[in-house]
Amino acid sequence: MRGFGDLEAVIMHRVWGHAAPVTVRELFDELARERAIAYTTVMTTMDNLYRKGWLTRVKEGKAYRYTATASREEYSARLMREALDDGGDTQAVLSHFVAQMDGEESEMLRAVVRRLAQRRSG
Amino acid sequence: MSGYAMAAAWWVPALLTCLTARGISPRLGLAAWLTAIASALGAAAAALQFLVKAAVAGWSSLAEVVCRSVAGHACAPTVYQNAALEFTLGGVALVAGLGAAAAAWRLGRNAARAQRQTHAHAMAVRITGRKLPGGDDAAVVLEAPQPVAYCLAGRPATIVVTTAALDLLLPAQLDAVLAHERAHLSSRHHLLIALTRGLAVVFPAVPLFSRGADSVSRLAEMCADDAAARRSGRGTLITALLTMATGVAMPVPALGASACAVTLRVQRLMEAPGRGRHARYCLALAIVMILLALAPAAGALAGR
Repeated sequence: MRGFGDLEAVIMHRVWGHAAPVTVRELFDELARERAIAYTTVMTTMDNLYRKGWLTRVKEGKAYRYTATASREEYSARLMREALDDGGDTQAVLSHFVAQMDGEESEMLRAVVRRLAQRRSG
Repeated sequence: MSGYAMAAAWWVPALLTCLTARGISPRLGLAAWLTAIASALGAAAAALQFLVKAAVAGWSSLAEVVCRSVAGHACAPTVYQNAALEFTLGGVALVAGLGAAAAAWRLGRNAARAQRQTHAHAMAVRITGRKLPGGDDAAVVLEAPQPVAYCLAGRPATIVVTTAALDLLLPAQLDAVLAHERAHLSSRHHLLIALTRGLAVVFPAVPLFSRGADSVSRLAEMCADDAAARRSGRGTLITALLTMATGVAMPVPALGASACAVTLRVQRLMEAPGRGRHARYCLALAIVMILLALAPAAGALAGR
């Protein structure tokens, strides 16, 4: 399963890189230049990505043209929202390096840190 | 015995919180909380099993009673009394058994859902993010304006760091952060945290579970801190923590006396005791002062 996950990342990276919708053939040609890979593998992976909602597709003759459903930034923002969800419904992230604190606490901590920095230089 | 253990589920948390809050030995603290939770669950299971057995025994003798009366033999009044007791016992056992089954089902369902969410999040992060250059396979960089770092257990395990965090942290500090997250993964803290949180959600009224969830989370962070400090040094970890908490980049200084003094002052201000505690403390101090003041006089009197 690990291998497929990496290929999904590679394919999405390429799709995001393309301004226009791409076909399996176009992507396969690109990838085949860099690695030994089967056409069916690329096709299956893109099909999986479509089923998981990462890609949408439009039929063009016999083939499909794929586009990303959202930009990389939008996905990043969505994942951040999920990670920072404060005890809400999602339990995807069990612990953070630093627990999320509200603006006031953060500001107080910043004041302490500034004072520490002043004392050292003063 | 079971009753005692279940009553302990209510007062033990206060004791454990007191002992483990400072985090002097977080690993032992974790073990203590987990032992307490395990024994409480064990006691509950034993009590339930006892109830069910008694009820089963009760019902079968009740059946015998019914059979006898149908057969037309004179029944002693004590038998009717026993029957009433057995009915009650049977009812309680049924309710308790159903409750336990429902709780177990909820625990399992919540755990499965949480695991699915974590897995989905990890897969999405691996697609959306970029591998951390020079980092191990587990570390992924996500583009975001907030400095955030966290880990996701599973196959494959993932450590997530945002671009904002990378901008703020010095290489040594990033190393400390990654070491902290790696410690979580290798110690499988996610299992402990998920278990205690799961119990707290299904049994919110039991302090052992709700306080336990908080304490286990905090102690796990301390364990991971210890591991990171061993590798990167306490000073580096402290500045990494402060950087991530405030969004302000900091150099890695040696910890000086003035820094410690300010930290103590902040800690004292943040842990301002409640009125009751304050009053008791003042009273105790006042008594000591009076005794100290009177001691010479008492000594003089005794000498005479």
